[in-house]
Amino acid sequence: MIAPKPTTKEPALDTLVKVDNLVKHFPVHGGLLNRVIAKVHAVNGVTFSIKRGEIVGVVGESGCGKSTLGKTLIRLFEPTAGKIIYDGREITHLAHGYMMPFRKHIQMVFQDPNSSLNPRYSAGAMLREVVRFHQIVPHHETRDYIRELVAKVGLHDDAIEKYPHEFSGGQRQRLSIARALAVRPDFVVADEPVSSLDVSIQAQILNLMLDLKEDFDFTMLFISHDLKVVNYFCDRMLVMYLGYVVEELPCGEIEHIARHPYTQALLGANPASDPTQRHELTVLEGEVPSPYNPPRGCPFVTRCPLVEPRCSQEMPPLLENAPGQRVACWAVNPQRTAAAE
Amino acid sequence: MFRWTTTRSARKFFRSRLALVALFIIGVYFAIGTAVMVLGWTSYKYDPQQRVGMQNVPGFFLQESPEKRLEDVEILLDQVERALKKPNADEALQDLSMGQLQIAAMPHSQMQEVVDEGWKIYDALVVHEDLAEDPDLLAKLDELEGIAGSLFPPPAGWRKYLRRAEMLLGTDRQGRSIFFRCIYSIKIALQIGLVTALISVVIGAVLGAVAGFFGGWLDHVVTWLYTTFSSIPNIVLLVLIAYVFTGTDFEDPRAVEVFTWIDEHIPLFPVYIAFCATFWIGTCRVVRGESLKLKRLEFVEAATTVGLSRWTILWRHVLPNTTHLMLINFSLLFIGAIKSEVILTFLNLGVKGEPSWGLMITHSSSEVVTGFYWQICSATAFMFVLVLAFNILSDSLQDVFDPRHN
Repeated sequence: MIAPKPTTKEPALDTLVKVDNLVKHFPVHGGLLNRVIAKVHAVNGVTFSIKRGEIVGVVGESGCGKSTLGKTLIRLFEPTAGKIIYDGREITHLAHGYMMPFRKHIQMVFQDPNSSLNPRYSAGAMLREVVRFHQIVPHHETRDYIRELVAKVGLHDDAIEKYPHEFSGGQRQRLSIARALAVRPDFVVADEPVSSLDVSIQAQILNLMLDLKEDFDFTMLFISHDLKVVNYFCDRMLVMYLGYVVEELPCGEIEHIARHPYTQALLGANPASDPTQRHELTVLEGEVPSPYNPPRGCPFVTRCPLVEPRCSQEMPPLLENAPGQRVACWAVNPQRTAAAE
Repeated sequence: MFRWTTTRSARKFFRSRLALVALFIIGVYFAIGTAVMVLGWTSYKYDPQQRVGMQNVPGFFLQESPEKRLEDVEILLDQVERALKKPNADEALQDLSMGQLQIAAMPHSQMQEVVDEGWKIYDALVVHEDLAEDPDLLAKLDELEGIAGSLFPPPAGWRKYLRRAEMLLGTDRQGRSIFFRCIYSIKIALQIGLVTALISVVIGAVLGAVAGFFGGWLDHVVTWLYTTFSSIPNIVLLVLIAYVFTGTDFEDPRAVEVFTWIDEHIPLFPVYIAFCATFWIGTCRVVRGESLKLKRLEFVEAATTVGLSRWTILWRHVLPNTTHLMLINFSLLFIGAIKSEVILTFLNLGVKGEPSWGLMITHSSSEVVTGFYWQICSATAFMFVLVLAFNILSDSLQDVFDPRHN
C-alpha cells in the first residue's frame, strides 16, 4: 500500500504560485450567425496560493472545473480574468515567447495515459524531444539522461525503444510522469493522474510520485475526484463546486474539521474502510446545476441541507474559519461578511 | 524516430502475401512505365501509333471469318497495286510496311505478277456467298492468303517474337497493335496518377491540418474554399481549364506564348490542374477532421506544455498522426485519377497524341457495335489489374501504418 507520508514539514515556505480571482469562461457559439449565445462558467473567481514544496489537492465532482483550473494555471487555456503569479511574476497573459522560460519550470501530468502520449513516438523519442528542446543536458549526454529518467520512474531500459501501445496503463502514466519531470520542473500540475488506473496501480503511481517529489523537489497541484486519495496525498486541499472553491482545509483529519456542507456530503459519500463500522450516509439530492446557467448566490444553494434565504441572494465569501482553513458558507460564518474582515 | 517503419511494420507487411503480390504487380507496372519512358529517349523507341496489320485482327492469333479474311486480302492487294502505279512506287511501297512486316524486296514487275495472280483467285472466290461451308473454297482462300503473304515475308530472328507480341491482342481499327498500346498507356496512367495524387494529397493534407489545428479565420477560409470547389462540377471545371490552356484566344502575345509552350511541353497540364483542383477536397476534409480530433488530445496539450511552437506541434505531432489518411487517400486518388482520365478522354478533353487506356476505350466504342471486343477488353483488363493491386496495397498499408493494430 501507500508508503507513509513524510511527516516532517518545513515550517516557513515562500509562495510559489499565487492565483488571484481566476476566471475562465468558455463561450458557446450557436444560432444563425454563430454568435456567442452562452458561457460555460468553468472557473469562477478562484483565489489560492501554493507554497514551495507543498502538495495542494483539488477535489470536486466531474464538471466542477478542477481540470480547467489546472489547465488555465499552466496557460493551456487563456484566462478570462484574474491573475496567475508564478514565483513573483505575473504570467496571466504572457505571449508564447515570453512564456517559454516558464514552460521549463511548469509541467503537467495528464489524466488519460492513452491519449497523453503520441502514438507515433517511442518513449525515448518523446523524452528526447523534451530534453533537447529545453537543452536540459549537453547533447551527447541526452541518451544517459533519458536512461536514468526512465529508470527513476521505474521502467526497464528496453522501454526506451517501445511505442505507447506496447505499454500498460500504469507504465504509460509512468512515462507521462517522466516527460513532466524531464525538464526538472519546479511546479507540476497533476490532472487526475491515477483516476484511469486500477486501484493497485494507483497506489504504485502515487508512491512513485511521492518518491520523485523527494528526488526532484517540486511543488505540486494534485487534481482528483477522490477525497481519500487527496486527503492522504496532499498537504492542503481545495474543495471545488461548480467553478468555486467552497472550502480550503488542511489534509489529514478532514472528517473532524470539514465545515462546508458540500465537503461533509463528500465525506459522507465515501465508503468506510472498515465495513463493520457503519456510518450515516448523507446523500445529496438533486443534480449539479448547469455551468451554463449557475444559480444566483451560493452555487450549492440548490442542494444544500443548511440552506437559508440569504444563500440565494449573495455568494458567501471564502473566510478564514480556523488556521489554514477557509470556508465559503453563510451557515458556517453567519455574522461575518467580506467587508467586516 | 521512424524505426518502427523499418522493422516491425515492415516485417508485418512482408508477412501479408496478398500485399506482396499487389506490390509486385504495381512494381511491374512501374518498371514497364519507366522502361517505356526511358526507351522513348533512345533510338530504340517503338512507335505504338504505327500500323502493324489489317484492321481489327483478333488477339491470340485466332482465325477470323472467311469473309473478313477475303476482305483483308482484297484491301492488301488493292493497296499494293495502287502503290505500284504511283510515280514514286518505292516510297509508296515502303509506306505499306506493317510494323515488323516489311514489304518484300522484289522487282516491281514480279510484284505486279503476284498481285495479278492474287486477283485471279480472289475473283473466283468473291462470287461465292457460302465460303465457310466449302472446304475447297477454304483451301483456295488459304492459297490466296499465302500469295498475299509472300508480299510481306515474316521477319526472322528476334523480330519474329516482336511480331508475335504486336499481334498478341490483335489490332484496332487503324491496324495498330492493341498490346503495345496497352503497354504504352501504363506510362500515361502512372504519370497522371502519381502527379495528381501526390499534389492533391500534399495540398489537401497541409490545408486540412492547418485549418483543423489553428481554427479561427484560417479554418473559415479553407472550409469556404473546399465547399466552393466541391460545388463546381468536375467536368465543367476541366472544360474551362482545358479551354484556357489551349491559349489561342488571348490578346496578350506573351500569354499566348506561355500557354502554347505549356501545351507543347506538358500536354497533360490542364488535366493535372483540373484533377488537383478538385481532388484535394477529400483529403482536406478528412485531415481537417482528424486534426480537429488530434488537437484536443492530451499529447498535443503536453507538447504545448513543453513549450513547442504551434507550427512545430502541427508538423511533429499532428501531421504524422494523419499519415494513414494520406496514404489511403493517395491510393484512392491514384485510382480515381486513372479512372477520371478515361472519362475526360472520352469527352475529348484528356490525353491526346499518346496512347492511353481512356483513348483506347473511346476508340473501341465504334468497334464494339461491330462485335470486336479485343480493344475494350484489353484496355479494361490492364486498368483493372492496376486498380485492384492498388486497392489491395492501400488496404494492407492501412493495417500496417496503424500503430495500434498488432
